[in-house]
Amino acid sequence: RVSSDGKPPKFQPPPKPVIIDRKTQKEERRFLSPEFIPPRGRTDPLKYYLERKDMIQRRKVFNIPEFYVGSVLAVTAADPHASDKSTRFVGICIQRGGKGLGATFVLRNVIEDQGVEICYELYSPRIQAIEVLKLEKRLDENLMYLRDALPEYSTFDVNMKPVPPEDHEEIPVNKLQVRMKPKPWSKRWERPKYNIKGIKFELPEHKMKAAQKWSQPWLEFDMLREYDTSKIEKKIRKELSEELEK
Amino acid sequence: MMPIWTKSGEKHAVTLLKVQDCHVLRYVSKEESGGKTAKLLVGGKNVSPFSKPESAHEIFKEAGVPRKQKVTTFNVTDDAIIKPGTPLYAAHFRPGQFVDVTAKTIGKGFQGVVKRWGFKGQPASHGQTKTHRRPGAISTNKAAKVYRGKKMPGKMGNIYRTSFGLKVWRINTKHDIIYVNGSVPGHTNCLVKVRDSKLPTYKDCNKNPPFPTFFADGDEELPEDLFDEEVFQFTDPSVTFA
Repeated sequence: RVSSDGKPPKFQPPPKPVIIDRKTQKEERRFLSPEFIPPRGRTDPLKYYLERKDMIQRRKVFNIPEFYVGSVLAVTAADPHASDKSTRFVGICIQRGGKGLGATFVLRNVIEDQGVEICYELYSPRIQAIEVLKLEKRLDENLMYLRDALPEYSTFDVNMKPVPPEDHEEIPVNKLQVRMKPKPWSKRWERPKYNIKGIKFELPEHKMKAAQKWSQPWLEFDMLREYDTSKIEKKIRKELSEELEK
Repeated sequence: MMPIWTKSGEKHAVTLLKVQDCHVLRYVSKEESGGKTAKLLVGGKNVSPFSKPESAHEIFKEAGVPRKQKVTTFNVTDDAIIKPGTPLYAAHFRPGQFVDVTAKTIGKGFQGVVKRWGFKGQPASHGQTKTHRRPGAISTNKAAKVYRGKKMPGKMGNIYRTSFGLKVWRINTKHDIIYVNGSVPGHTNCLVKVRDSKLPTYKDCNKNPPFPTFFADGDEELPEDLFDEEVFQFTDPSVTFA
């Protein structure tokens, strides 16, 4: 190189190689059950820590598989009034609620033209087995609108064979748009507060426009409603992985 | 509050109470106090000493203990007297015991008669003029006065109330936590007084509790978690009905 003065050129170190660590990124994307994330509030974190210890204890003895709202599950629970002392129910998970030990999930199925929904507690000792027959996600977090949809969308065969999940990194999202029964519905699902993407609305244009009157576009910019769970999630994931390895 | 399951699969709701820095502050004898039994002053939850004058710190200095947020009295029999300055732990209680919990209820502020006393109010329509949640009549014609104690609007809540006969399901000795059945008056993280139940049904219920209290430097080595016999422990497999 030609130098400006008579001195030798300044040593330029070679550019450092950029290492993209894919393993840590994969671990972060692994599933963390939503009931582990504590709600926003003024409770002592010690309470959530003790609850988590009990939850981990239960998970060591009893396997609670990864599932989402929209997956089809089969649950065998102990029942003192049944002849076999246990009942098996197959259904689609329409809602996952509750935090900590009281976490619940609601399964819906249509049996002999009668819609049936059962709310099970994830950590109840009466549950003997949870199998995921079909692991998939839907467009919404809450499928309560299936109550007002045509019954074919909620019927699942009770003797369904488990569908083995394909080895993708990502869980398949079923972009099914459900057709509804004629109005009136249990809730006005076309209103923007429910923010439902999974319904094929066959309502006239003026009704859809009228529903937008109840939209609250300022809500997404409300900073007081923000709840950033990234740091909490990291801590909990670390705790979980340490405890489950023991 | 948390769910807890029994071995037969029933669910009960449970409140967690933490025993935070409780010390015995003073012993008051029967003659001194003028009551039927001796009294022990107990303080809980350490707090900064700088917000109160020196005269208020006397009790704490005598016991050799930092200033406490709340001081309560317990009526004790003569054989249960404890030396001032001893710390009290959650292991003082045992699972299966019954307990009374006293605390100040959540303050609701100045409230009307419908919320405060459960009056029915008046109908919403059919000609009512500006009268929907008012008390209506407050006395009769003959009385010609309003009786003392008449239920009227006023400040609601923020008074001491007790929940009686609550079962202790579980005790965590490491973090000093008592799991008590059902709900307890007061908001989350409020100060609460826990006492052996005085209900006649539970008079003989305490089977060998630590007497006079649980001493941490004693010989007893307690496990981290003490459960009642009926509590389902998560180390066991799922419940099956035979």
